[in-house]
Amino acid sequence: MKIVVTVKLVPDPNAEKRIDPQTKRLVRTGVETMLNPYDEYALEAALQLKEGAGGDTTVTLFTMGPEALKETLRKALAMGADEAFVLSDPALEGSDVSVTSYAMAQALRKLPFDLLIVGGLTDDSSTGAVPGALAEHLGLPCVTNARKAEVTDGRLQVERETDAGYQTVSVPLPALLTTALTFGEPRYASLKGIMGAKKKTIATMSLAELGLDRPVGASGSKTELLTFAPPPARGKGQTIEASDGVSGAQAIFDFLKEKKLV
Amino acid sequence: MNNVIVYAEHRRGETRKVTFELVSEARKLADALGGKAYAVAVGPGSAQLAEQLKDYPLDAVYLNEDPDVDAFVLDPIVDYLEAAAKLAGPALMLIPNSLAGRDVAGRLLVRLDAGITADVIEFKVEDGAVACVSPKLGGALITTCELRPASYGISTVRPNAFAARPGGSGAELIPLEKPAGKAYAAAVESDVEEGSGELALEEAPVVVAGGRGLGGPEPFETLLKPLARALGGAVGASRAAADAGWVPYNLQIGQTGKTVTPSLYIAVGISGAIQHKVGMRASGTIVAINKDGAAPIAEFSDLLVVGDAFRIVPELTKLIEASKG
Ligand SMILES: Cc1cc2nc3c(=O)[nH]c(=O)nc-3n(C[C@H](O)[C@H](O)[C@H](O)COP(=O)(O)OP(=O)(O)OC[C@H]3O[C@@H](n4cnc5c(N)ncnc54)[C@H](O)[C@@H]3O)c2cc1C
Ligand SMILES: Nc1ncnc2c1ncn2[C@@H]1O[C@H](COP(=O)(O)O)[C@@H](O)[C@H]1O
Repeated sequence: MKIVVTVKLVPDPNAEKRIDPQTKRLVRTGVETMLNPYDEYALEAALQLKEGAGGDTTVTLFTMGPEALKETLRKALAMGADEAFVLSDPALEGSDVSVTSYAMAQALRKLPFDLLIVGGLTDDSSTGAVPGALAEHLGLPCVTNARKAEVTDGRLQVERETDAGYQTVSVPLPALLTTALTFGEPRYASLKGIMGAKKKTIATMSLAELGLDRPVGASGSKTELLTFAPPPARGKGQTIEASDGVSGAQAIFDFLKEKKLV
Repeated sequence: MNNVIVYAEHRRGETRKVTFELVSEARKLADALGGKAYAVAVGPGSAQLAEQLKDYPLDAVYLNEDPDVDAFVLDPIVDYLEAAAKLAGPALMLIPNSLAGRDVAGRLLVRLDAGITADVIEFKVEDGAVACVSPKLGGALITTCELRPASYGISTVRPNAFAARPGGSGAELIPLEKPAGKAYAAAVESDVEEGSGELALEEAPVVVAGGRGLGGPEPFETLLKPLARALGGAVGASRAAADAGWVPYNLQIGQTGKTVTPSLYIAVGISGAIQHKVGMRASGTIVAINKDGAAPIAEFSDLLVVGDAFRIVPELTKLIEASKG
């Protein structure tokens, strides 16, 4: 079985985030990046499925983004993925979700798979729309928010979270799966994994190989960023030392009353 | 893009507050764009929901009680929404920013060749153009993003960001024909409800959240639940509490959990790590109870009371109960 996992490299929330005032785009290079947290769970799911299936199952990573971020992929390779592909092209800069999902789909057509695992949400853009859009572009059955998954007899069997609880469902392969954070804590890379990752290949794909039939980048996008600003400053509030439970409770109660919250 | 269409997400006719927020905002937007406001309610129970939607100022509700909507994962809903969009003509689709809402939005994006804005908390319409305000990067930036002129646009909308304003003139109920020639692969084999039907965390006007400082699962039941109940709110948690197995993951707030914007957020025994902050920083008023006056949460709380949660919370619950008489 061939599994492809999409992973996005996103700015570390602890690092200072900058938007280039000229291009109004997130500065993605020269800041600390990490694997999008949801994608770590997607990768964990892939590795668990690989272990379950055994044999010649492989896990391939795919990302679209600046080539400079390639090294962050080593961490994912160290966790146990076999190889990685990076779709990188200056023409993709400024792509919105509709363009991103289109370009990703065109690239994924070049990577044969039985199962495509996508994270649920990115940390930076947070639309959660890419998985559904990929399923449409690629014509795949789409099962989202899995907390358990298993492949038996060419079918993907899933327990998926809903806003009310969970459902069980199965679909034939090839299929697209997204994972919930309840799938299981992503593993740490072992020392052996880290050493091994140095030898794994990270191949670059360019737009020219894909044969696109619509514009990408900012000009092909259907949304335009007009303004961005930090949220209104939230000043440091008051601190009160409570000598006992009653006085602490009274302080909160008085404060809530003043704010008309009780 | 002058009509506005709301995806009225529901479970056998039961819906959440966000649906009423969306239909109220839909009216405002449709008026500004010079179009009509519609809702789409499909699947078992949709007729019951449509009755409730009549109290809101919509032009029409499209509905179909098709059992396939519950029998298959999402595909039928996407087909119905696409059909409604094509019937109504160029439109802005308003979709709740929920698990199902995000899934549906991504699929419709391709079906309608639309642009999308996510997690919108405010709309501005000027000369027929729709600008959408959304917090990004965990609320570190507030962006305004325009949907470029096109036939269709999609916005996922944050619960609790808009007011629900009833006041209907009796929306017309329009049966929506079942899209023909579809075969669905993902049959639902079982569908289980979990959780106690308590107030959805994202929609709660008050959130009382607990962290590692609570030391175990019991205080969530004995301390936080009564306080939340007294305030008409819901209980949430930090990841440390969810990781420890004290509460289910669907209560986790933060970067890898839910984003909440209640009027009042009370953080009990939570240190206020950046990954927690990004899920609650946009709350109206933030109160923290922490033993440690130097905890990072001091930097973004309106009030920090330094003391022992086990002593303060029960007294606070008593005061609030007493004030209600
Ligand atoms: C990729 C990534 C994603 C993450 N996502 C999230 C997320 O979504 N949500 C999230 O919350 N965290 C997340 N975290 C974890 C985050 O970094 C913190 O570890 C976590 O928020 C800490 O939880 P806490 O505040 O409950 O625990 P602690 O940091 O241990 O804080 C406990 C607090 O309780 C106080 N306390 C102890 N006893 C008492 C008492 N009796 N009365 C009053 N106060 C008391 C202590 O002074 C302390 O401040 C993430 C981390 C990573 C790396
Ligand atoms: N540029 C990208 N490269 C690789 N994967 C991506 C990219 N953008 C989005 N994804 C995948 O799509 C998921 C949802 O992203 P989004 O819809 O942007 O919130 C992520 O968790 C990733 O798995």
